[in-house]
Amino acid sequence: MFLHKRLCSLGLAVVVAATAACSGSGGTSRSRDTLVVYTGQAGDYQLNFNPYAPTQIEGPGTIYEPLFFFNIAKDQPPKPMLGTEFGWNPDGTELSVTLRNDVSWSDGEKFTAEDVKFTLDMVAKTPAVNKTGFKGTTTAVDDTHVVVKFPEPSYMDGPQVLGQLWIMPEHIWKNYATPATEVNPNPVGTGPFQLGDFKAQSFTLKANPKYWGGEPAVKQVRYLSLSGNQAGVDALKAGSIDWQTGPVPDIKDVEKNYPGYKVVTLPLNQVSLFTCSNAQLGCQGAQTDPAVRQAIYHGMNRTQINSLAFQNTGSEMSPGFTLQPRDTALLSSKLTDRMAPMNADVAKAAELLTSAGYAKGPDGIYAKDGKPLALTVKVVAGWTDYITALETLSQQLLQIGIKITPQQLSWNEWADARGRGQFELLIDSVEQGPAPDPYYTYSYFFSTATTAPVGEAANPNFARFSSPVVDAALAELKKTDRGNPARQQYYDTIQVELEKSMPYIPVLTGGIPNEYNDKAFTGWPTKDDLYAFPAVWKRPDASQVYAKLKPAGS
Amino acid sequence: MGYHLRKVAFYLAALWAAVTLNFVIPRLLPGNPVDILMAKLQQRGGSVDPAARQAYETLLGTGGRESFAQEYLAYLGSLLRGDLGVSVSAFPAKVSDVIGASLPWTVVLVGLATLISFALGIGLGALVGWKRGTWLDSLVPATTMLAAVPYFWLALILVALLSSGLGWFPLNGGYDVVLDPGWSPEFLGSALYHGILPALTIVVSSVGGWLLGMRNMMVSAMSEDYVLTARAKGLTGSRVMIRYAARNAVLPSVAGFAISLGFVVSGSIVTEQVFSYPGIGSKLLQAVQNNDYALMQGIFLVITVAVLGANLVVDLLYGLIDARTRDRSTVS
Repeated sequence: MFLHKRLCSLGLAVVVAATAACSGSGGTSRSRDTLVVYTGQAGDYQLNFNPYAPTQIEGPGTIYEPLFFFNIAKDQPPKPMLGTEFGWNPDGTELSVTLRNDVSWSDGEKFTAEDVKFTLDMVAKTPAVNKTGFKGTTTAVDDTHVVVKFPEPSYMDGPQVLGQLWIMPEHIWKNYATPATEVNPNPVGTGPFQLGDFKAQSFTLKANPKYWGGEPAVKQVRYLSLSGNQAGVDALKAGSIDWQTGPVPDIKDVEKNYPGYKVVTLPLNQVSLFTCSNAQLGCQGAQTDPAVRQAIYHGMNRTQINSLAFQNTGSEMSPGFTLQPRDTALLSSKLTDRMAPMNADVAKAAELLTSAGYAKGPDGIYAKDGKPLALTVKVVAGWTDYITALETLSQQLLQIGIKITPQQLSWNEWADARGRGQFELLIDSVEQGPAPDPYYTYSYFFSTATTAPVGEAANPNFARFSSPVVDAALAELKKTDRGNPARQQYYDTIQVELEKSMPYIPVLTGGIPNEYNDKAFTGWPTKDDLYAFPAVWKRPDASQVYAKLKPAGS
Repeated sequence: MGYHLRKVAFYLAALWAAVTLNFVIPRLLPGNPVDILMAKLQQRGGSVDPAARQAYETLLGTGGRESFAQEYLAYLGSLLRGDLGVSVSAFPAKVSDVIGASLPWTVVLVGLATLISFALGIGLGALVGWKRGTWLDSLVPATTMLAAVPYFWLALILVALLSSGLGWFPLNGGYDVVLDPGWSPEFLGSALYHGILPALTIVVSSVGGWLLGMRNMMVSAMSEDYVLTARAKGLTGSRVMIRYAARNAVLPSVAGFAISLGFVVSGSIVTEQVFSYPGIGSKLLQAVQNNDYALMQGIFLVITVAVLGANLVVDLLYGLIDARTRDRSTVS
């Protein structure tokens, strides 16, 4: 300790006051109204506050706001942001939005319908920023009303337009000839925060005193860059970050190991074995046989995988790919298993394989036409939870006579194999869209429109799944407004079809753990009050959290 | 003059070969920038919408690829103009800006650490060689063992001990994030403070090599006749050690040092990774992980030029110092 004190008083360390090491020497740089977050940024930040750039570092929700906030964590109506209400015409080709009248940009200019029109037009005519395939034409009726016309019924584009297009100030952005490559060093937005200072290792957002919803109680949000997950855990241990998303060792004892911190784990990604399922599109291997996929599905002991690989943060998953428990209301009663069984059913798996023409060989592995049931599963090297899951699974599947071999690849190689369909099995997760609705998951991962033959890049229907029944149901869903009870029959059709074909073999719904400083700040989203998805990298959800947090004791 | 011309011509050919390899090797990587960008964004809750992929393809201009030969010619052309292109992983920043921002950190950290390590290794090596057979000999296995321990392990142990455990040094980073980078004394102090531990790990793990080389040269120099003569003349021990033995023994190490200075630019990827240091090594890793061809090429180019440059200087200096290396007719 003596040397510690001496170092702190040496000239070397005049400025270490801010580090935890010497905080005893009177450092005040981290006041209680500054929230420090770690979004998983590894390496330096490259200045880019253009919310439409894939390399943007912050902006959506915090600096720039959408018209409405769609909470994908919970099935609830969209929360009004810059818009106050919206409605569709009867055939779903015209969307009318009423805007807030009391909003101004952080440079003092008033926000009007012209800004909304400018933003939507900019997106529609700039392919490089049109991440949602937006094809509408926008008219500003008056200062607070806009109408968006679509060429076809587009109920399902609603959440994209209303919740994923960040409204930009026309008076500034009309001067930018190429909005896609603008790095926007001085962002002017309507949001609860403004850019504070920017440095390559860290930047801050400061509260917008003129925010229409009232100035946030958190006066400053500091974003840190660290070298990766381990550095994140270390920083959490040292108490130098207040919020991070991702697993930490020994997650069930977070409150004990990191005093003052709490953890909330929410299901989001449906972890599955992706199979190259479609022989017609060029897939090769035993997994193109639905019976093999079904057998793997039944041969899995999900309870064991959950405890060995995921620290029990996973939860049950439905073979119909509705996100549970969020989509409970949509869960089809026509499914054989409403939830994938948590324990292995060896007899069922054996029966499936036998009736598909497989016979058990002397080594205990099933075979057909002299070819043993041996498959490789590709996984990214370093994704330790998935690797453990696969090691466990390969032991379990030996019991039902299927041999799987995990193969670890670099990220680049894995992503390439996944896109081109050059795999038998791989482990990854099926993800969610812009609104709490499985429609988006279905249209992304299960539609013929989003796949491609093996050898060409598909995105994101990597399984090469193609079913006229699912495609027809998706087309009907696209024509029906969300909330209409007529949608359920199509959801039923899709779920039954997915359970039958199983192009993605359900494993578990992966929980996303979030560790947050509950002692210094109050108002975090909890399982009982899920006002936003509580992941620090989830935009615009994080801005909802920042705006709601309050320094403890104030 | 012929000697120097020959050398320069050789280095130009080597440069061309290196530049061509820089172009080819990144393109042998599997995957393409857009898919990797999509995969990364998905990890962080980004959109998996197929429309997003199309938008990124348009943005990064990777949709329709030109032929290999066309790309190669365009690459050589822009290199000659000094244009390294635009980085995909830090889009839309220019590669030269990305490198310019990270290179000084690496050069100062690794450069100083190499210098300290060299000076320390040579000094200790001379002493150990001079006093061979005493307890000082145990320095050789001790430092060699530290050099043999995997570097990342040593670094992690030191972090666990000195940063996490005792709290003497910051865990990571190149400077205290609340300060503005610049020439202010606070910032320089902070950068120095953050650099001590990474530098220490580099010195500790590399000093053994210098020490061993110097000590062995010292031992053989001490058996030379001129050392015996110097002793016979009754010169003091320290004078014989420094002016006669060490001065000759250090020559091979100087050559090695010049070459290792060339490698300073390539940094120490592992060091920068362990300490989240904002240098060129972490940028190279970022480039490789994102299939950022332009950034990879840029960094490889800088490394190549630095290493070739250092070698050229050593070669030319050697020609100056030692006439034997200049003359092709001498057979030794």
